[in-house]
Amino acid sequence: MRKNKFAVLNFPGSNCEKDCHFVIEHVLKQNCKYIWHEETDINNVDCIIIPGGFSYGDYLRTGSIAAQSKIAKSLKKYSKQGGTIIGICNGFQILTELKLLPGTLLRNRSLNFICKEVNLVVNNKSRFTSKYDHNEVIKVPIAHAEGNYFVNSTIHKELIKNNQIIFSYCDTEGNINDSSNPNGSLNGIAGITNKEGNVLGMMPHPERVSEKVFGNTQGLGVFESILDFHRN
Amino acid sequence: MALYKINLEIMPIQSVLDPQGEAIEVSLKNLDKIRASNFRVGKKIEFKVEAPNKEKCKEITNKLCKDFLVNEVIEKYTFTIKNEKK
Repeated sequence: MRKNKFAVLNFPGSNCEKDCHFVIEHVLKQNCKYIWHEETDINNVDCIIIPGGFSYGDYLRTGSIAAQSKIAKSLKKYSKQGGTIIGICNGFQILTELKLLPGTLLRNRSLNFICKEVNLVVNNKSRFTSKYDHNEVIKVPIAHAEGNYFVNSTIHKELIKNNQIIFSYCDTEGNINDSSNPNGSLNGIAGITNKEGNVLGMMPHPERVSEKVFGNTQGLGVFESILDFHRN
Repeated sequence: MALYKINLEIMPIQSVLDPQGEAIEVSLKNLDKIRASNFRVGKKIEFKVEAPNKEKCKEITNKLCKDFLVNEVIEKYTFTIKNEKK
């Protein structure tokens, strides 16, 4: 069977790129390469992963300087052509700054950096989540200071209408409420896609719960879903 | 070409929660006899722009703000332009 080609982008200050690379190469047994932000060639890749971290020290706004890098133009073109892009944590922030996803990520309402496991309810109607049951509740860690998703009410309505909200913070039963919302995100939004469905941004880290050794493999479904999409 | 000095002020828009402003306000209870409220925290950026005239400089600065320096989903901005000796 043909191996899928993944690529992990790398910016100064990225720090989750090796975790993502490891999951793709050693858990999923697919090909994965790193792409430095000064490169421009992203052809012949099935999926691009923008990893977490603190690109450019989070200067100006999180993700804003990465969004001005040399590779940005290629990323926009790749997205327009329907290529699969997943941005995790800082990757999500970069995707909003690139305007490939609507809205933005504000400072957590508590002003604290939050690092803990949270429950997410999954909308499985996307190429990133087809391996999950619809409304399945999974446990995935978050680790961020700016994860408080915000968008105006018109676009929020569109996100709902177009089924673009893929992950929401919830309690163990899958109820979305304020007490299960770790950072003040609008309606507990933890991950969204663009209207076309080929770009996903999510604050939680599925790559950190993709191996048995960590006692939780509930994040692996994200990468398996992408694989499944590109096999079909 | 002339050189212009830009003073750019960026503030969170009113409908966006400003947790930094709130944190300042909450901490004020530790200070006696000071009545202050409605804190909003923004940022100030200074830079220089080379342009043939002030009008063009304004155009360049607006583009720079919209494309990079300001996120208009959550922020608004104002700036002043001053002639700078080259």
